[in-house]
Amino acid sequence: MDSSLFEPAVPVIIQGITGRAGRTHAQLMQRYGTNVVGGVAASGSLAPIAGIPVFASCHEAVAKTGARASLIMVPPLKVLAAAEEALAGGIELLVCITEGVPVHDAVRLVRLARDRGAVCVGPSTPGIAIPGRMKIGFLPDAALVRGPIGVMSKSGTLSYEICYRLAQRGLGQSLWIGVGGDPVKGVRFGDLVSLFQDHAETRAVLLIGEIGGTEEEELAEALIAKEFNKPVFALLAGATAPEGVTMGHAGALIQGERGTAASKIVMLERAGVRVHATMGKIVEDVVQILL
Amino acid sequence: MVADHQGRGHQGRIDPDALIDGPERRLICVDSSCIPWQDRTLNSNGVFLFLLEHHGKELLARHAVSVPAGVFVPLNGDVASYSPPAGPLVIKAQVAAGGRGKAGAIQRAASLEEANYIIARLSGSTVRGRPIHGFRVEQRVDFVHEAYVSLSVDATEARMRLMVSTDGGIDVEALASQGEALHSVLAHAQHLGDAALKLCAALPAPFRAALSDAAQRLSEIFVACEAILLEVNPLFILADGSWIVGDVKMVIDDNAIVRQPALQALLEQYPDIYTESARKLAHGFDYVEVDPDGEIGLITTGAGLSMQLMDELKAQGRRPVNFCDIRSGQFRGDPARLIAVMRWIVSRPNVRVVLVNIFAGITDLAEFARLLVEATAQVPELRVPIIARLIGRNLEEAIGILRASDRSVTVEPDLDRAIELTLATLDAQGVRRG
Repeated sequence: MDSSLFEPAVPVIIQGITGRAGRTHAQLMQRYGTNVVGGVAASGSLAPIAGIPVFASCHEAVAKTGARASLIMVPPLKVLAAAEEALAGGIELLVCITEGVPVHDAVRLVRLARDRGAVCVGPSTPGIAIPGRMKIGFLPDAALVRGPIGVMSKSGTLSYEICYRLAQRGLGQSLWIGVGGDPVKGVRFGDLVSLFQDHAETRAVLLIGEIGGTEEEELAEALIAKEFNKPVFALLAGATAPEGVTMGHAGALIQGERGTAASKIVMLERAGVRVHATMGKIVEDVVQILL
Repeated sequence: MVADHQGRGHQGRIDPDALIDGPERRLICVDSSCIPWQDRTLNSNGVFLFLLEHHGKELLARHAVSVPAGVFVPLNGDVASYSPPAGPLVIKAQVAAGGRGKAGAIQRAASLEEANYIIARLSGSTVRGRPIHGFRVEQRVDFVHEAYVSLSVDATEARMRLMVSTDGGIDVEALASQGEALHSVLAHAQHLGDAALKLCAALPAPFRAALSDAAQRLSEIFVACEAILLEVNPLFILADGSWIVGDVKMVIDDNAIVRQPALQALLEQYPDIYTESARKLAHGFDYVEVDPDGEIGLITTGAGLSMQLMDELKAQGRRPVNFCDIRSGQFRGDPARLIAVMRWIVSRPNVRVVLVNIFAGITDLAEFARLLVEATAQVPELRVPIIARLIGRNLEEAIGILRASDRSVTVEPDLDRAIELTLATLDAQGVRRG
């Protein structure tokens, strides 16, 4: 993964900038310090928004602004087409905050990005941020404070809560990447190990995981394989969610016991991760180790 | 179980095509991730929709796939009134759970009287905690062999996975772990048909034609319906070499339903069966009842934080009624979502306290407070204490609005203290911890 995509000055365009949310977040991001160089509107007015030029296509936006990243905030059924357009236009980093993207579309989108060597964060991510410098998406300013913790999270709100509490205790974040809670996504936890390993400002990693899927297990494997040498703290939501029923043999055939809280805890702890059950305890542990 | 959990994932990195063409002609150990359909109803993505077998078979039949003749009979129904097929019959309880056969929820009936007896006995019971919604009364199939075909989404690989085995049935996992051939291939959706053809070419002759046909046709349906899982097990092979669906498990993508009219119609027709998905379709957010006898109603934004709250309340011996991701950022001045959640919560008899949690990034808390007051006025039957953890923009104004209202709401900006207050409220009412 090209780490220069996660630097403060990366030029960003916004697809869907003329929508209600697009308009709002374009300005919030700009005010935060993000290098917002343009927007794309599939139809309608191309009048600038808060001084941000609006283009009719990604191709044109990239050609005229040199954008490398795009924030996708179009409706769920239009995400795939927007991503295809962005990738064809030369965008290297997609941040897709739209929720509710159909899974089959997500599969195509993720595959397309991988085949092109581009990085896709999301769908269904609250975004990424380098606190105090830039954010792409809508991570809340109240929780964003510059500091030593690299954050990777499936859950928006739970990461806000923990980072807010840590910030109150004087511990901020170096780089925050919300991978999103959808099962099919671009960047997965395990993909971020090298990025955080080489990230000088990151002294420790905070992992906000959830039951389901196998990303936490993949991360545990990557931490061991890459000999990750910074402390990792994890909180896994949903440990007591209703233990449902096996709904097919295919799941058991492929996934086995992976995906359960127990499997994630065992594998993460084996990789040296400090796994906690409550919000209060993880905050205290991070404070104790890092301060 | 076949995945090697200590395998560090290297098996998942091997190209399955290479394995299938290799000397062993089998792929058993696919250590890879896939959609967590099989045992999770909650994640940030909301809810996956598991179709009842009866609805799955109707859907397959509409796509010209052979299924045994069968009809739906409601709980305690009299089979004769529902035009059952000619016997002998199988009575199959309709429940969103696997393992029905082993749980005694699939039984043979030699006569209509026996069928009615079975239905009367199973009505009202559950399978692995899930309610039985009715019965599929089906003509028994005279088959010569049981096979297995499934299609699923592989989340890690971002491709579709087709699995075929000449040996199916309820013990397919055991067969696979004993080294029986389970053939598997990953492919893009548009190449699944070709992949199926290639995969099945390696199968032994007596079943090759049937499984090749089944794999290709089921692939088309999997893609057309945007399924997360389509599993036919057993797939019956008949004496004449043709095939018919013994049982089907189908998991549908909630997010795709808006462009799947047949599935949307199904949800709208059976909101009592597909409660969570029908709710999401109607209201635009996630609400899952997890404990109808619970004490704590949750009005929360964010799936992860909602799950974490449930975990922490349960760890204290308390029982939350529901999971909720109300998405306060999407209210647009309308209290409808709050009213809906309050009505669902108040319909549960043991609720003694409501905990609200809003971490407002963008949401204006003053507006949220106004909507909360409006909603409580619309749901006066919700009389239990409300503890609202609010933090973010316009908190002071929000507190003022809530103080000025007739409905008492306790505001607490710290989440751990809000949890403590919730627990203390239950303790004070003498509700014993579990």
